[in-house]
Amino acid sequence: MATLIEAKNLKKYFPSPRGTVHAVDDVSFTIDEGTTMGLVGESGCGKSTLGRCLVHLHESTDGQMFFDGKDATHLEKEALKEFRANNQFIFQDPYSSLNPRRTVKDTVMEPLQLSGKYNRRQLEIECIRLMDLVGIEKRLRLSYPHELDGGRRQRVGIARALALNPRFIVCDEPVSALDVSIQAQVLNLLMDLQDEYGLTYMFVTHDLSVVRHISDTICVMYLGQMVEKTTSKELFANQLHPYTKALLSAILSTDIHHPTKRILLKGEITSPINPPPGCRFAARCNYATEQCKQPLTLEEVKPGHFVSCCRVREINNL
Amino acid sequence: MADNKICDFLSVRDLEVEYSSGGEVIHAVNGVSFDVESGKTLGLVGETGAGKTTIAKSILRILPDHATKAVRGQIFYKGQDLLAMPLDEMRPFRGSQISMIFQDPMTALNPTKVVADQISEGLVLHQGLDKAAARVEANKMLEMVGISSDRADEYPHQFSGGMKQRVVIAIALACNPLLLIADEPTTALDVTIQAQVLDLIADLKAKLNTAMILITHDLGVVADQCDSVAIVYAGQIVESGSKEQIFDHPTHPYTIGLFGSLPDISKDVDRLSPVEGLPPDPTNLPAGCKFHPRCPKATEACAQGEIPNKELAPGHFCRCINI
Amino acid sequence: MAEVKNTTINTEIDIEALMAEEKRERKANRGKKPGSFLYICRRVWHTPTAMVGVGIIVIMYILSYSSPFICKFPFAKVDIMHKYALPGVAGHLLGCDELGRDILSRCLYGARYTMSIGIFSTAFTQVLAIPLGAIAGFFGGIVDTLIMRFLDVFQAFPQILLAIAIACVLGIGFNKIIIALGISGIAGSARMMRAQILSVREQEYVEAATSIGCSTPRIIAKHIVPNAISPLIITMAMGVAGAGLAASSLSFLGFGVQPPNPEWGNMLANARNYVRDYPHMVVIPGIFIMATVLSYNMIGDAVRDALDPRLKD
Repeated sequence: MATLIEAKNLKKYFPSPRGTVHAVDDVSFTIDEGTTMGLVGESGCGKSTLGRCLVHLHESTDGQMFFDGKDATHLEKEALKEFRANNQFIFQDPYSSLNPRRTVKDTVMEPLQLSGKYNRRQLEIECIRLMDLVGIEKRLRLSYPHELDGGRRQRVGIARALALNPRFIVCDEPVSALDVSIQAQVLNLLMDLQDEYGLTYMFVTHDLSVVRHISDTICVMYLGQMVEKTTSKELFANQLHPYTKALLSAILSTDIHHPTKRILLKGEITSPINPPPGCRFAARCNYATEQCKQPLTLEEVKPGHFVSCCRVREINNL
Repeated sequence: MADNKICDFLSVRDLEVEYSSGGEVIHAVNGVSFDVESGKTLGLVGETGAGKTTIAKSILRILPDHATKAVRGQIFYKGQDLLAMPLDEMRPFRGSQISMIFQDPMTALNPTKVVADQISEGLVLHQGLDKAAARVEANKMLEMVGISSDRADEYPHQFSGGMKQRVVIAIALACNPLLLIADEPTTALDVTIQAQVLDLIADLKAKLNTAMILITHDLGVVADQCDSVAIVYAGQIVESGSKEQIFDHPTHPYTIGLFGSLPDISKDVDRLSPVEGLPPDPTNLPAGCKFHPRCPKATEACAQGEIPNKELAPGHFCRCINI
Repeated sequence: MAEVKNTTINTEIDIEALMAEEKRERKANRGKKPGSFLYICRRVWHTPTAMVGVGIIVIMYILSYSSPFICKFPFAKVDIMHKYALPGVAGHLLGCDELGRDILSRCLYGARYTMSIGIFSTAFTQVLAIPLGAIAGFFGGIVDTLIMRFLDVFQAFPQILLAIAIACVLGIGFNKIIIALGISGIAGSARMMRAQILSVREQEYVEAATSIGCSTPRIIAKHIVPNAISPLIITMAMGVAGAGLAASSLSFLGFGVQPPNPEWGNMLANARNYVRDYPHMVVIPGIFIMATVLSYNMIGDAVRDALDPRLKD
């Protein structure tokens, strides 16, 4: 399969009064066309920032990005417009991602209007088609967001993202604000759309059970860096990084007869402001030694399985 | 549960709560009955708007005055009906015997007081300790929830989310309550922090022999923490029983739907089988079974009359006529 | 995905019917969208106190402009024989002032000044304040600093003092007082607009607009300003009364509308020397000022309730 998205040493730093925040620090990966990459991490690890950089909602500080083989790191006007038609974003919060003063129809139609390729009549037709595609009833065309429930609002957000016929969509925790039964409906919708249009997703989430369900490959992030990267199957079968192990063990299974043994971590995520070199997870890691203060990189430990941990072989007896 | 015998510790019988909003009556809780035994944990599971939080708040009688239209039924705590008591007599129970942990640790703490003072407040009020003694006790509580007492004089904004939730737990447990009501205590937290907090709650509960009502939408949390489970839908308990009964033999179509909606980490499923449709409008609930418009097994009989609560096995109740 | 052609045939009839239905629905829903202009009008229409206010103001405007034709005594006509006349004497319904001029005619004629100054100066303020605040809030950085520090200079003075100072510089007259009062209010409104923009700008729907390729002016006009404007409309509605009162104060102090043109403020200023012997000369213009301010306030209250139902109780 052809590579659609590629990031090389991507960095995003934010200035802050207390120093530079290293939100995304030297991250590289590729996503194949038609597949889903899951990006997992806890709040504050930079996963949303990375997603936003990929669709130019943030401009990356350093590094390179490629879309369909072409450099897309810095784009101006027309190129950016074309890029945006191909690369879309679905937001986390269905309550704040829709303009409260615009109707469902206004919101869904806006990208079509901006593209300037449709006349009024085609706009109407496209709008109905999109609403139908994501499963919103036609009669809700003139409703305002506050009249809709969370699941429907999220569907409106999805319709807006699909309007320009994109190839790549970043889904930033699209179901975390929804109730369980609605969550499943939206996940099914996203997977159906992928099957039908060959979409490529980057699925940003903190919920590992969701990510396992939807992803082909998974990247685990901690404090702006990638700590483990491999296929979904491999990750859930053999996680190698101590953080991934802890993260997986913290998932609460509904299987009451085989409770998982939880690995408890010390403390909480440390500050992303001017982090010291070396492993950023070391402060909470149960295996940390002096050695962990040395700078380290993502290393291919097994074929297709990348881990950033200097003691990975030791810990896993490889 | 359907019988009239009440439990020694906490028994809720036929609880009904109505709110009024803009001229409409919202039927938030419609005839809920359950028991909690001393030292045990009951999980109340349901979706947003199912009435879980309202049930919890009616036990403490902290429903918002202006919007609450009617509260009916009985809540027996050690044989006394909390709802029938004058408020002045009921008030001493709050905080000392029954206390509550709220969902959002960010708003549950007073931002202008240091955490030690917030913990000792209840001790001074309910246990009649003097300030110095309460302070010593507060420091002990902080240590117990895993926060160094050096940080006792810090303000809530100096703590992270997980730490704040620990402080909230310390406040709730300071007076050794017999019943703890935890309203989505870990929903606002990250998974690794959630694991820490859940372990903490389980430890403390065992140590202090506190009973708990755990309100959550997360079946994983229930599997981890609870002894018995009640599934709430549209203000009614549709299925209840021990954890093993519910998880091994879910019977009500809604319970089955909830399990089908979960992408379970331990199983490989290609497609989720969610409950279709939306929860009903609480101002206009369907007649008969509240779930029948979404139910895959619904028949005409489901839309008629009250649905009785059937006992399937000892202690396992289900409100469905098609099983 | 954009297979418009394929679907056209299937949906041809559909679309016509849909569009017609939509038109009907829009018509039926006119004025029901919270925050729209029509909605505000409907709310004012259904609030009795606000309608009393509207009634008083409309009647005063009509009487003001028709007073030269309907009043028995022209407002400037001096009648020494009846100076200080009490209400009801010799056909003067509300009495006469120290030169024997009819107070009713003067008050009615003067209504146009106070009432218009309130509206125009508030409009002047908002026309300048909204773009300034919006630009400062949206772009931030150096632009923000420049605009806000400049406005800080204005805010360093009490508003009425600032208005007097500006009136002194500009000179005296009806137009100039509007400008003076208008400028003195800019800083407050612009600051409010900026704060609103800052909070709306962080909303995800603004980011969503960027992601679908909206231009910056379109984002400001379609997504930010409509969601930020409500508090401004409320201050505007409430500000008209305040500005009317300020206009009277300036005239009272001698900076506003000049004699012989009758303005309630300068009528009060004249009459204050006679307040012990002929209190009606002070009380009557005072009642007119009060009635106007009250009317504007009642309308303002209804507008606020329409835009921000939370403040109602």
